[in-house]
Amino acid sequence: MMTNISRRTALLGGVAAAALPAFGAAHAAAPPVGKQNAGFYRYKVGDIEVTVVTDGANTFKFADNHVTNKTRDDLNKALEAAHQPKDLMTTPYNPIVVNTSGKLIVIDTGTGEAAYERSKGVTGQFQTNLKAAGIDRNAVDMVIISHFHGDHINGLITPDKKLAYPNAEILVPAGDWKFFMDDGEMSRATSDRMKSVFKGVRDVFDPIGRKVTPYEAGKEIAPGITTVATPGHTPGHTSHIIASGNSKVFVQGDVTHVPWVNARHPDWHVFYDQDGAMAQATRRKVYDMLVAERMMVQGFHYPFPSLAYVDKVGDGYREVMVAWKPTI
Amino acid sequence: MIQLTRRELLSGTAATTAVLAMGLTPSELRAAAPAAGKQAPGFYRYKVGDFEVTQIADGARTFPMPDTFVVNLKKEDALAAAEAAYMPKGQVTIPFNPMVINTGSKLVVIDTGNGLGAFEQSKGVVGQMNANMTAAGIDPKNVDIVVISHFHGDHMNGLKKADGSLVYPNAEIMVPAAEWAFWADEANASKANGFNKPNFPNVKKAFDGLKVTQFEAGKDVAPGITSISTPGHTPGHVSFAVQSGSGKLLVQSDVTNIPALFLRNPDWHVAFDNDPATAQATRHKFYDMAAAEKAPVAGYHFSFPSVGHVEKDGKGYRLVPVAWQPSI
Repeated sequence: MMTNISRRTALLGGVAAAALPAFGAAHAAAPPVGKQNAGFYRYKVGDIEVTVVTDGANTFKFADNHVTNKTRDDLNKALEAAHQPKDLMTTPYNPIVVNTSGKLIVIDTGTGEAAYERSKGVTGQFQTNLKAAGIDRNAVDMVIISHFHGDHINGLITPDKKLAYPNAEILVPAGDWKFFMDDGEMSRATSDRMKSVFKGVRDVFDPIGRKVTPYEAGKEIAPGITTVATPGHTPGHTSHIIASGNSKVFVQGDVTHVPWVNARHPDWHVFYDQDGAMAQATRRKVYDMLVAERMMVQGFHYPFPSLAYVDKVGDGYREVMVAWKPTI
Repeated sequence: MIQLTRRELLSGTAATTAVLAMGLTPSELRAAAPAAGKQAPGFYRYKVGDFEVTQIADGARTFPMPDTFVVNLKKEDALAAAEAAYMPKGQVTIPFNPMVINTGSKLVVIDTGNGLGAFEQSKGVVGQMNANMTAAGIDPKNVDIVVISHFHGDHMNGLKKADGSLVYPNAEIMVPAAEWAFWADEANASKANGFNKPNFPNVKKAFDGLKVTQFEAGKDVAPGITSISTPGHTPGHVSFAVQSGSGKLLVQSDVTNIPALFLRNPDWHVAFDNDPATAQATRHKFYDMAAAEKAPVAGYHFSFPSVGHVEKDGKGYRLVPVAWQPSI
């Protein structure tokens, strides 16, 4: 007696359309709200409170060499497998805020408020979402940078090139500081990509008088936050382990780019990787460790809230997004 | 001294020395930032064609896995599957996610959550729908239609407030006719046992004094929202197909309980399925269709924001959650 499931009934055949007039005269519903939820998400790592604060996501037509050792077709197949549109790359940006022992620490800063203006709010959302999360930028004690790409450092300064976190100490990976601030290295850059990275780094750090504190890998640089060398993406690229009690999360920075491309295919070199082979080796090392330890990863380019476990699948890895907790 | 920023203190000025001489470390000059301790509101918005859909979190319950949670499987195997899905050892978490669809002509709620009574009893762990709807900018008074997928408490107890008054005072309440017939039948009530037994009086209480419109499965419940007969979980259980323009969405209701167990293993019978064999057959039909159509599926017991694509994987299916869009 019941209508059976079929593709036709499920996805609206003629029967459904014929039923429409039964709803009577047109009545306008309440207007659509038209606005996404504020992008923040909270979780605990032992006694430490982490707030993931999204900076937005950029969608663009990717170039043929987006993955330098694979073809456009290969990349499109990976996108299709992830139910993503063809020829378009969506890159989410997700910095975090850590409250550890009463200290507020931002890890990576997003694309910056100037990008918010330029993109009409598509990216550079970090400050608006930070506010929605109830966090005052003036209360931030420390900003830790994972590496010197624009989507991680541009949020250090405001559009008028002042400090975005006026009361914070800025900690930068010593390896990237040494490499990118070296004028000799800059003069040897040949590709447009590398030239623009060198310039971008100076555009951020020069207006603030290069007042930063370089940090080394393998150190606890704040209570419960330990640095881990994960080079390749940039020479001094550094990840961070947040640990408290029995709980740990690996804040990977850009060990992978978006997971549906780069966790699934750890041997693919997304063109942002400065040293593709080294980045690949780092990726495998880190992800094998995440699998073995069943450790959560916080991925800057994972979709918000960008917190996942990692399974080994075939020759790659698959992220298992952590179940959203409606209460913390 | 107190006005000094940490930056100045760390820059090696005389002030630093003075402060250190007082036995204070620089960071101690700033008040500890209190933990925010509160999760972000649980709503997520996306478009299906011209329709605006808002997934609303009602909360999630975590409890020790009952012995017969999966009735046709040894408990140790169910526990192993839960642990493999990164659930806390020995436990199972069930989230609840109702939704609101604005079709432009109707503001439609599909399922109502555990209700405000449960919100009080659970101290806010479940029954969050109203709070999150308000956060989402949706006024319950503006809701035109409330559709109930089936008559379990976590779907219909949100129709009334704790004092018995209406949560959606201006809405038509639509219920599946077959569901109404089953639960209103005293003969069924008298022979009920197990999970069904307490549900008969609960159905009575939930609908007592309410005016409802019964609908036949297969019919539209609102323009663009078609019901689909998906029996088994309960006799009159329905799912929905939403279509606007080229946008499609399937709303599974409880075709599966939590996907990590019952979408991965569609032949496993959750304790809440009224007719397990029928529910199993429905699951296969529904998900073969969803996988073939590549249509996104909203799942009441998926993790918030509880929408994803489903693909065939061996004997079962895998949910690929949609990537959160920071803007709509």
